[in-house]
Amino acid sequence: MTGIGRRNSNNMALFSGVDWWTVLLYIALTLIGFVAVFSASYVEDSENFWSFSHEYVKHIFWLGISYTAGLVILLLDRSVWHKWAYIICAITLFIVLLTFTPLGKTVNGARAWLGLGGFTLQPMELAKVGISLAVARVMSVYGFSVQRANDLVKVMAIMAVPMGIAVLQNDTGSGLVFCSFLFMLFREGLNYWICIPLIFLVALLILSFLLTPGVLLIALILIFTFCAAMLMKGCWKACINYIVSLFLFSTLLFVILVVAMGRDLSYYDCLLFTTAVSLLVVAVYAYRANIRSIYLLILFFFVSIICLPTSDMVFRHLKPHQQNRIRTFLGQVDDKDLLYNVNQSKIAIGSGGFSGKGFLQGSQIRYGLVPEKHTDFIFCTIGEEFGFLGALVLFSCFAMLILRLMRMGDRQLETFGRVYCYCVASILFFHCCINIGMTMGIVPVMGIPLPFISYGGSSLLGFSILVFIAIALDASPTKHQSTLRKW
Amino acid sequence: MNNPRNDKYRHQILRIIVYLVFGFFALTAGYLQLIEGNSYFDKAENNYIRYIITYPPRGEVFDRNGEYLIQNKVVYDLMVIPREAPRKGIDTVRLASITNEPMKRLKRSLNEARRSWRTASPVVKYLSAESKLKMDEWNLPGFYTVPRTVRQYPRKIGGNLLGSLAEVKQDFLAKYNEDGYYSIRDYIGEQGIESAYEKELRGEKGRIRRNRYADHSTDEVEKEPVAGKNLISSIDARLQAFAEELMKGKIGSVVAIEPATGEILVMASSPTFDPNELVISRERGNNYMRLLNEPRRPLFNRAVTSPQPPGSTFKLLNGLIGLQEGVLKPHYKYSCNKGYRAGNIKMGCHEHRSPLDLDFAIATSCNAYFCNVYRNILENKKYESPKQGYEAWRNYVEQFGFGVKLGTDIPGERRGTLMHREYYDKLYHRSWNALTVLSVSIGQGEILATTLQLANFAAIIANRGHYYTPHIIKQIEGQDSIDIKYRTPHYTSIDRKHFETIIKGMWRGVNRDGTCQLAKLPGLDVCGKTGTAQNPLGDDHSTFISFAPRNNPKIAIAVYVEHGVWGATAAVPIASLIEEMYLTDTITRPWLIEHVKNLNLDYSIYDRHRKKK
Repeated sequence: MTGIGRRNSNNMALFSGVDWWTVLLYIALTLIGFVAVFSASYVEDSENFWSFSHEYVKHIFWLGISYTAGLVILLLDRSVWHKWAYIICAITLFIVLLTFTPLGKTVNGARAWLGLGGFTLQPMELAKVGISLAVARVMSVYGFSVQRANDLVKVMAIMAVPMGIAVLQNDTGSGLVFCSFLFMLFREGLNYWICIPLIFLVALLILSFLLTPGVLLIALILIFTFCAAMLMKGCWKACINYIVSLFLFSTLLFVILVVAMGRDLSYYDCLLFTTAVSLLVVAVYAYRANIRSIYLLILFFFVSIICLPTSDMVFRHLKPHQQNRIRTFLGQVDDKDLLYNVNQSKIAIGSGGFSGKGFLQGSQIRYGLVPEKHTDFIFCTIGEEFGFLGALVLFSCFAMLILRLMRMGDRQLETFGRVYCYCVASILFFHCCINIGMTMGIVPVMGIPLPFISYGGSSLLGFSILVFIAIALDASPTKHQSTLRKW
Repeated sequence: MNNPRNDKYRHQILRIIVYLVFGFFALTAGYLQLIEGNSYFDKAENNYIRYIITYPPRGEVFDRNGEYLIQNKVVYDLMVIPREAPRKGIDTVRLASITNEPMKRLKRSLNEARRSWRTASPVVKYLSAESKLKMDEWNLPGFYTVPRTVRQYPRKIGGNLLGSLAEVKQDFLAKYNEDGYYSIRDYIGEQGIESAYEKELRGEKGRIRRNRYADHSTDEVEKEPVAGKNLISSIDARLQAFAEELMKGKIGSVVAIEPATGEILVMASSPTFDPNELVISRERGNNYMRLLNEPRRPLFNRAVTSPQPPGSTFKLLNGLIGLQEGVLKPHYKYSCNKGYRAGNIKMGCHEHRSPLDLDFAIATSCNAYFCNVYRNILENKKYESPKQGYEAWRNYVEQFGFGVKLGTDIPGERRGTLMHREYYDKLYHRSWNALTVLSVSIGQGEILATTLQLANFAAIIANRGHYYTPHIIKQIEGQDSIDIKYRTPHYTSIDRKHFETIIKGMWRGVNRDGTCQLAKLPGLDVCGKTGTAQNPLGDDHSTFISFAPRNNPKIAIAVYVEHGVWGATAAVPIASLIEEMYLTDTITRPWLIEHVKNLNLDYSIYDRHRKKK
């Protein structure tokens, strides 16, 4: 193809167009990761420093493999990814499915591992590459538009496959990663009216655990009335009338039904009923007054009112450990082990102070008080031993890498490259959010690793391939040719 | 919108989201590490640091001749930290056999320990050194032994004088732990010397900082324990033992003081108990309850806690005051016809020759004579009314330590009874005179004194007018001298020559023709005064104060035997024997010991009290 031809004709072109900032950030993060893994897995009086049973030695091995893979990707023809996207996706998904064969291994209750000789592999990390490529390929088809339901369903279908497998593997955390594609879809022009309600419903779901239904209902009424007032450009008087009459009517209903007739109902029931009826009235009024914009709001309100009692139902269908994790995060039950983990993790990070306790000096890490210290809770090592400064460095590296990937996406001429870069950015962003948030106790505990930092060969290799394909696509001659063509 | 590539707006939003999320992370990390950092640092330390309290040996107490009164003995408490112990399968059978603890109790204490998961709780207390060695050999994780010093009392004397050690209880901590020194299960002195000199004896606890994940070689000694100070008591152990032996079967107390220094030589309270019974052990609680409930109250140190009427011994004081006030001269004679009569008042007396002078009145303990003296003191022309005379009299009495606390170092001291003028004013609606309070002249009625106060009174007479606050500890290790308050003489405002007059009478009472000739010791010039205090509950109380020798006295003593019939029956021989023992180291009258031991006194009043309960 043209790529090979160009490369042959220009010896400078071996790494031409490579975004060295991204490579630099990648190397910086992997080195930080090595330091953290070393600190978390170093055993003071081990007989053999280089013994392969140490995690840090294995990590060096995986670092080597990852760097090699990155190099190979840069050397490969850069059009290969577009061409073979579906094939790669199929292969990786096939490997994922192998976990259900006798080759599969169960670790921590999740059947998400493959045992290959002495190694264990988590194929879902590699599937991220395949799915990203496939999604990018689908979306780069001529005439594709995320605003069209038919096209959106195609993307959703591709995302649904690994999510379904992950749920079957009992490894929901890895499946949820694909939800992060919402980030990419928004970039690609997903309708606001899908994004905002989705976010709103999630918020409602979380709030419904925290607040009593009554408080939530009153909050909803106030919020929606406020929104309506904004939409109708200042019908404040009407809105206040609406709220006052709503409460008057529900009180009246309450007095009649409960006090006079002795029915066993709470004030909440009365308010819910009155609100539902009032929505009909408002709808009729809006139709008469020809205020279209308020319809969607009413629908929205209606859905969220229905959502109030159903969120509890949904919750009950979750598995006990998932329920526990969410509840613990919301501070409701004290599942001692979970609370203990998060608590120890927070102690580790907090005790680091401004500049940390120093390399290999963290007591929480040293004495094994933090669970999963070299994998999911690796951030504790950095927080404890390098303190606030270390955390800031890590945050900025991640933020810069993600922003860099987004920028690389933005400057692509082809949809395929742009979508792919945004897919990578989304996945990295999601992993960072969940993992760092969970160690600091602001997100429920989910077993997903911190990219490039956590110990784990498959995740390191998977993320490296993800990033290097993005770099390769960014460096691909199509971009340069297109830019040239502009002249 | 249709061409996403040109939609700057959207990728700006996403970019802002990324900034916001990482900004929020930075803020959260800042909150955890900078604002809450110190508290998390402490929590992290608590996770791996264990503080081990090291106990210093408690100070020991010696008697004045260097003999042990209170001696240390080391026992071990077996502690467990459940978090560090193997979760399953502690070999309880082996544990029980090593510690000699019944299986049931062992399991119960293990279960109780599990309630506080991170803190050390005792499993078995008071292990012997042998069991401790076996536990060390076993090296069971989570279990360790803590050495504790408990007490032993080689002489087995002075149960209610020396006090004992007890474990600090939760309610004690809530109420009294002002300086925060004590924590639960520490040992603390209870009663007696142990309690009075707690601060000196206990020393200072030390603290070791131990990393529970490293071996013990990394221990950091934060604070070395400071050993408690040894004390030298003024008690003469041999004499104390002798006094307790003599007092056996009687209720009462003996106090002997060295007049020149105020050091207490003997303070025996009867009934008493073997202090070894209250040594911290598994039986201490039961023993303590038994002693507490005994009707004769052996836990009481009667020498300081039980004020009684001083009886005729008090006549000496009235004589001194009369002489000082000038209303009495040694040659004044009063007649006594089997008692004293004035108006409706009649005060009986025993048979003796009459009229008699002061000398003989003291020796023979004449009631009538001292009624006259007392009346003259109160009705002195110097004062407008007997009420003011009473106030003047009371002032003298107080100088002798009656009706006030002497300020001795023995805890639980009572002040006795000495009424103020206002008391009588209120009681008799201001119409009272010398005759109303006449019984005080012979030490009965509204006057009560502890044996310590009586012994101190004897010491004042022996010193001819001054005393040192009686005290039981004469030296504290590492201190040049004891508290200044024990080294300052207290003077009475009575002239020395009047003391000589009174002492002459006391000498005569013992050595010529008085009530206490049993106390006579050849060549020692014993002086003394008996007392027989009437009481409505049973036989009269027998009391005797004495000092010897007459010149340059070495010992002043007061003996009080409740329901001991006559002063000469019980108190005199006991005092005399102790004096002889102290001054000459020998007993020349074994028959007197037999007499004292075989005294059959009637204490049915105490047993009746028990039945009532």
